[in-house]
Amino acid sequence: MSVDQLILMILALPLLGALINGTLGKNMSKQLVGSIATVVMFVSFALALMVFNSNHTTQLIQLFDVIKLDDFTLHARLQVDSLSIWMTLIVTGVGSLIHLFSMGYMSHDKGYYKFFTYLNLFIFAMLILVLGSNYFMLFFGWEGVGICSYLLIGFHYSDEQKGMLNGVAARKAFIMNRIGDLGLLIGLFLILSQFGTLEYTELADKLTIENIEPSTWMMFGITLCLFIGATGKSAQIPLFTWLPDAMAGPTPVSALIHAATMVTAGIFLVVRSNFMFETPGAQITQDIMLYVGLATSLVAAFIAMRQNDIKKVLAYSTVSQLGLLFVALGMGAYTAAMFHVTTHAFFKALLFLGSGSVIHAMSDEQDIRKMGGLRKFIPITHATFLIGTLAIAGFPLLSGFYSKDEILAHAVMHSPVIYAILMVSVAMTAIYMFRLYFITFHGSFRGSDEAKHHLHESPKSMTIPLLVLAILSVFGGLLNLPGVILAKGTHWMSHYLEHNTRGLELIKTEHLTNSQAMLLMGGAVLMTIIILFGTFVVYVKRNSVAKSDEQLKGWELASNQKLYFDEIYNALFVKPIEWISVKLHQFVELFVLNKSILGFVGLIDKSGNIVRKWQSGIVASYLFWMVVGIVGLVVYYLVKF
Amino acid sequence: MEIYIIPLLFALIAAIAPKNLVKHVGLVGALSSLVVTLTQVVSFSPAETVTLFDPNFITSFGLTFKMGYDGMGLFMVLLTNVMIPIILLSNLNRSIANEKSFNSMVMLMQFGLVGVFTAMDGIMFYVFWELTLIPIFLIVLWYGAPERKNILIKFFIYTFVGSLGMLLSLMALGTYAKDFSHESLVAIQLVPKTAFWIMGGFFLAFAIKIPLFPFHTWQPTTYTVAPMAGTMLLSGLMLKMALFGMIRWMIPLAPEAMADFKCIVITLGLIGILYAAIIAIKQSDIKRLFAFASISHVGLIAAGIMLFDKETLSAVFIQIANHSLVAVGLFLAAGILEKRLGTRTLSEMGGVAKLAPKFGFWFAVIAFASVSVPFTSGFIGEFLLLKGLYGYNWMVGLAAGTTLVFGAVYTLRAYQLSMYGAPKMESFKDLTWNELLAFFLITVFILIIGVYPQVVIDFVGPSLDKLFLSMQASNTLIP
Repeated sequence: MSVDQLILMILALPLLGALINGTLGKNMSKQLVGSIATVVMFVSFALALMVFNSNHTTQLIQLFDVIKLDDFTLHARLQVDSLSIWMTLIVTGVGSLIHLFSMGYMSHDKGYYKFFTYLNLFIFAMLILVLGSNYFMLFFGWEGVGICSYLLIGFHYSDEQKGMLNGVAARKAFIMNRIGDLGLLIGLFLILSQFGTLEYTELADKLTIENIEPSTWMMFGITLCLFIGATGKSAQIPLFTWLPDAMAGPTPVSALIHAATMVTAGIFLVVRSNFMFETPGAQITQDIMLYVGLATSLVAAFIAMRQNDIKKVLAYSTVSQLGLLFVALGMGAYTAAMFHVTTHAFFKALLFLGSGSVIHAMSDEQDIRKMGGLRKFIPITHATFLIGTLAIAGFPLLSGFYSKDEILAHAVMHSPVIYAILMVSVAMTAIYMFRLYFITFHGSFRGSDEAKHHLHESPKSMTIPLLVLAILSVFGGLLNLPGVILAKGTHWMSHYLEHNTRGLELIKTEHLTNSQAMLLMGGAVLMTIIILFGTFVVYVKRNSVAKSDEQLKGWELASNQKLYFDEIYNALFVKPIEWISVKLHQFVELFVLNKSILGFVGLIDKSGNIVRKWQSGIVASYLFWMVVGIVGLVVYYLVKF
Repeated sequence: MEIYIIPLLFALIAAIAPKNLVKHVGLVGALSSLVVTLTQVVSFSPAETVTLFDPNFITSFGLTFKMGYDGMGLFMVLLTNVMIPIILLSNLNRSIANEKSFNSMVMLMQFGLVGVFTAMDGIMFYVFWELTLIPIFLIVLWYGAPERKNILIKFFIYTFVGSLGMLLSLMALGTYAKDFSHESLVAIQLVPKTAFWIMGGFFLAFAIKIPLFPFHTWQPTTYTVAPMAGTMLLSGLMLKMALFGMIRWMIPLAPEAMADFKCIVITLGLIGILYAAIIAIKQSDIKRLFAFASISHVGLIAAGIMLFDKETLSAVFIQIANHSLVAVGLFLAAGILEKRLGTRTLSEMGGVAKLAPKFGFWFAVIAFASVSVPFTSGFIGEFLLLKGLYGYNWMVGLAAGTTLVFGAVYTLRAYQLSMYGAPKMESFKDLTWNELLAFFLITVFILIIGVYPQVVIDFVGPSLDKLFLSMQASNTLIP
């Protein structure tokens, strides 16, 4: 099969799965529903591997024209190049494993067929997002993943206690994303007004080959708007508070959408637009991106330190890692960012699925203070979770170590201060992750006897994805080994991505000498090991448990209370708008407008007294005679005609 | 001629048919009209202009009786004749469907609407415009909620004042033109000052009917007290007469006033978008919430019309169809809730999705269409409209774009408060077959336009080109 056909099939299969399950799933067995949804994903992934293996060049696949006007056309068109193929591999690969996991995890759920329909639909929208050849397709997929995310966060909307809350979380996610979307949309309009096209390749041509030089402010505006869009989807300050709340969705959803794929859409957007971000005007945006990323990384890591909900810790960890990615993008280290996106997809999906397995074993308990000593009860989950923890903490030779190190190396070159701040964030990551791991899996069990009795390892459909992701988390670093490790064959992934993705300067290798690189790595390794030892002493040797909410004070309280972001946003935005809404209705609508109209009517009424005498005043009679007249005339001319 | 005769004929038949058959008479009538329209659509090529009625006779005061359609006219007729059967269908399980006068009035309404959309003479347009007022007035009067009396008077005075403005403008134009046919009216050229007052008269009528801020205060109350069918007719079709009127009559007849009016109307539209959306956020009555939502959505369309370029007008027609479908769908959902629960208050609802999963699903589909998600007609329509407004002025585009955010806030709030959580009622009857079919048909049309919006553009595009040409051709300057 040609690349065209393969790509079309990759795209069509998840849609087909969603259609089958959406229309017929209700009357099919759960086994069949889950199998269809999962099989289409694995086949999609296999086809993506075939495209990856074929020696493909950048290709455009025209589907049809969505809108064709005299001076402006929106194409439904796909673009196959290294970047889109790489994202496709992540989306379908991690996606298939999470589908498989969900077959076990959701097996007791009534909405089984709906869940898999939404999941397949999400994959379809995400594939449109990454495979589209222009910003319109990206926006289409962008909005599509938003709505699927909404549906999946609020999946348990009929739940007796939490139904409404799940709905509120879903709504919050959707609305905050929409704020970012508005920025993205304005960015699209700016691009259209400046360049007259939304096609990536045409834009890249205009900027690189034709040397069109738009004004600095224009490029600043465009890139800033694109970045605002990215802050919504990729949960950056100020639009990040929806992501932790999105944990209301079933755990596989958190793994797939809110950790591995959808939240990296913002990163993808910036990497895709690298030719814009490398123009002179975009330098300010790059700096903004860097500092916003840095701040987000620190804030989220700080909040994660004292969270006690296993999924919330992971959620804030995701926000923090995304912040790190934006720091990389701010420095122009696009392939380093893509490398970390990849490894992060592996270990964060692993950690979320692991937490799902824990929650499954704990009969839906998510508070780590009621866990403890779980390593004896759920050994596979424990082993894989440990690998995930080590990987994200940057333990030597695991995937996260390499990908994080590459970003850190760029930071050293960029500015030692930024490097130092990043190291604080990295250290906090290690601290909260080891805290999470030790409190959950070590010590003695703190839940009820009933819960203890119920503890069980998850079924194979759940442990197999864990094992595969664990292997990927261990060896994922080999994709892009740094120059210091081997003499040649390093930076494979960077070269792969660069070889046919359009851009000005996709690769920026860090020009560190070998000894500098070794020094950096050594420092990171030393720090991780010290933190590992320290947290081990605190949480295992001294057996200290996370404090109850009342005992918290000072920085611990601030961390536990999420730095009061929700409260501040409520006071600054939600409450005022609601107040305005009520007042507008009470005063402007019902008082000012209505009263003035009634006054006007009264005026007419008075003046009408004079002419009233020869008017019957009965509306119906006016209308009646009018109609009689019309009908009479029409009939007259009909006869005559 | 059949598209006029059939509704009139069925209006008569419905008035005398036996009571147990009357709802079928209405539906048969509406479907017959649809079949006729479909044959017209099939034999129509978008570039042509079809004359339906032209006696070649001019009355002493210039009435020509010309009726006919071009692409956009036929598009509106098609929209009308698709929506009327859907509206009748969705009312089929209600007692109102068995009323002779209701079916008769809906047929009369269809006659009036088709007349408005095919009028090629200013006086005919005015007459049909006024004619539509009778059935809607009577439907609300006979079948509305108990508190309707004062509200109806307000509604009537409003629309009457608006109509007066339009009539004055037409009369004034008549003194310049040789007759009232559309081509003659377009051909005259006015000095800006005269044009300002003429456009102003039309604008008053259309701004009230749409309605635009600040001419809208009749709308939330009337939508709320009207029976479901009345609200559907008002929001789904009647307000489209005004949007269409702006495109066909108001702007082409007095384009010289655009320099002054463009900014005014876009500003009013913009205020309406924000004002109504913000008010909708905290509404407790689900029907009134959707009424404000409608003001917000049509404000965007009206602002888009004022740009008067082909690209934006194409988007306007997509949005006109989209708004008809979505509004009828939303008011169907609101009507179902009101009928089954006996309340319109959101805080007394909740958990319906659990008891009535089919309803939960279809209501969600319409709600998503209302917030313009991909694959629905609103996605591309809103995209192009916002693009147009952005091109006019970036701040206008940005402010109008907030509809993306606010729309999601109030629509999802309304949906979640009524449908999510634990049920607050004992039982809730799920959709009947006719309601299900109505939702399904609405969704099909939303998806067709959403996936392939070009179908609308190809349909109305050539007639827009012709309209622009005829406007450019006008050259005689009259004071």
